[in-house]
Amino acid sequence: MLLKITDLKKQFNGQQILNGIDLSINKGEVVVIIGPSGSGKTTLLRNLNFLEQADSGLMEFAGEKINLAQATKSEIQMVRRKTAMVFQNYNLFKNKTAQENIAEGLIYGHGENAKTANQKAVQALKNLGLDKRKDYYPSQLSGGQQQRIGIARATVLNPEIILFDEPTSALDPELVGTVLKDIQQLAEQGQTMIVVTHQMWFARNVASRVLFFADGEIIESGTPVQIFEHPQKQRTKQFLNALADNY
Amino acid sequence: MNSQKIIGIIWRGFPNTIELLIFSFIFATLLGLLLTWVGLRKNRLAQGIATVYLNLVRGTPPLLMLLLAYYGLPVLLKAIGINIDHWTRLMFGILGLSLGWSGYLAEAFRSAYLSVDTGQIEAARSVGMKDQTTFRQIILPQAAMLALPNIENLVVGLVKATSLVYVIGLYDMYNQASNLSNQTAGLHQLQIFILLALSYWGLVLVIEVLFRLIRRRYQWLA
Ligand SMILES: Nc1ncnc2c1ncn2[C@@H]1O[C@H](COP(=O)(O)OP(=O)(O)OP(=O)(O)O)[C@@H](O)[C@H]1O
Ligand SMILES: [Mg+2]
Repeated sequence: MLLKITDLKKQFNGQQILNGIDLSINKGEVVVIIGPSGSGKTTLLRNLNFLEQADSGLMEFAGEKINLAQATKSEIQMVRRKTAMVFQNYNLFKNKTAQENIAEGLIYGHGENAKTANQKAVQALKNLGLDKRKDYYPSQLSGGQQQRIGIARATVLNPEIILFDEPTSALDPELVGTVLKDIQQLAEQGQTMIVVTHQMWFARNVASRVLFFADGEIIESGTPVQIFEHPQKQRTKQFLNALADNY
Repeated sequence: MNSQKIIGIIWRGFPNTIELLIFSFIFATLLGLLLTWVGLRKNRLAQGIATVYLNLVRGTPPLLMLLLAYYGLPVLLKAIGINIDHWTRLMFGILGLSLGWSGYLAEAFRSAYLSVDTGQIEAARSVGMKDQTTFRQIILPQAAMLALPNIENLVVGLVKATSLVYVIGLYDMYNQASNLSNQTAGLHQLQIFILLALSYWGLVLVIEVLFRLIRRRYQWLA
């Protein structure tokens, strides 16, 4: 087991947003989280890499046990170095070129030397077919290009787990496929990941496990077939029916 | 009197004007950065001190600031054993303007700092950058660019404020011009003041070009 979370709780303004989450993830697993808006999916991911600090809960990760509410600076740093995040609105560094965006996490976050880091960045851009754009700033790139670079920025760090928060929901429909294919390819290479998405085909086809999340709790968890073909809980059925009605 | 001669006399004040501008801007920036840093501390006392200073400065007309620097500060400092009687008028002029503009610049820095997108900071953290590195690599450059339009306005304002140093008897372009006008019994007044205005416009134009160059250099701003 790579990551285990026990009884993670988080409130905002006295409102319980995460209501005791238990979650464990094995190496190579692709965990897809689906669920209604406002249910706490983003908050869960942000608590995993300490962009938010949980009120209580335990994390076991990379052989360490961490009290989520009282994590030390060095524990936080350790977790952030072994994870990476892909954001809904990309959050590429605006003052850095495409290449710098990929290289500088390695250089300034992981202490890798600049030469190797830049070689890796250039190679990553080549793999994406974006090497001609290496000196472009985010403002000069399309949303799809930005997000693919955002993914490269995460993968180049060689993290144990990548956290994806709705990586395609800010993209034009015709670009969604390209970006999801990138993620699918990563998954096939054995990259462990947690993906929050509303793209059901991705959940069906790429997930090794699907979590249905609502009101700050994991309502139901299982293989894509279990969740999509044979949901057990009323709440899951409602959600899936509502989705089906929209198509 | 021909225009060339008038310009010649006005521009005798140019060294003082430009020194006032450059040194006041430098000292105001340093003091402004310090104030911003102090004001953003979690420490309540530090915050309080910065707030009081900012409010005092903001509420004081620049002219009065110059007078206070020139007449008040030597007295105040003497009380604590520091003698600045030997300072030149230019130094007092720079001091007065620096105190004033440090407050305005601090406000510009602070609001720029606070308007750096939190997503940028979170992204930096997510790739493992420490707070100090995040500040240097991400926050500072972006805040500097966000502050640029305000800084430009403040510099242009400072150019105009340099003309107030006549109150402490310093001969800048404005004081040279008004002196000349008095000496010639107001005969060439309009001509003199139009030439003076053109001189300031020229200076402001140069500043605008400089800022445009900076903006172009940092094209990612778009
Ligand atoms: N920083 C915050 N301060 C206060 N409330 C917050 C904060 N972040 C999130 N919330 C609240 O927590 C709840 C869960 O938000 P979250 O963003 O985790 O939902 P989500 O499941 O990701 O929704 P979506 O599918 O729309 O992205 C929401 O009610 C939101 O208003
Ligand atoms: Mg969300």
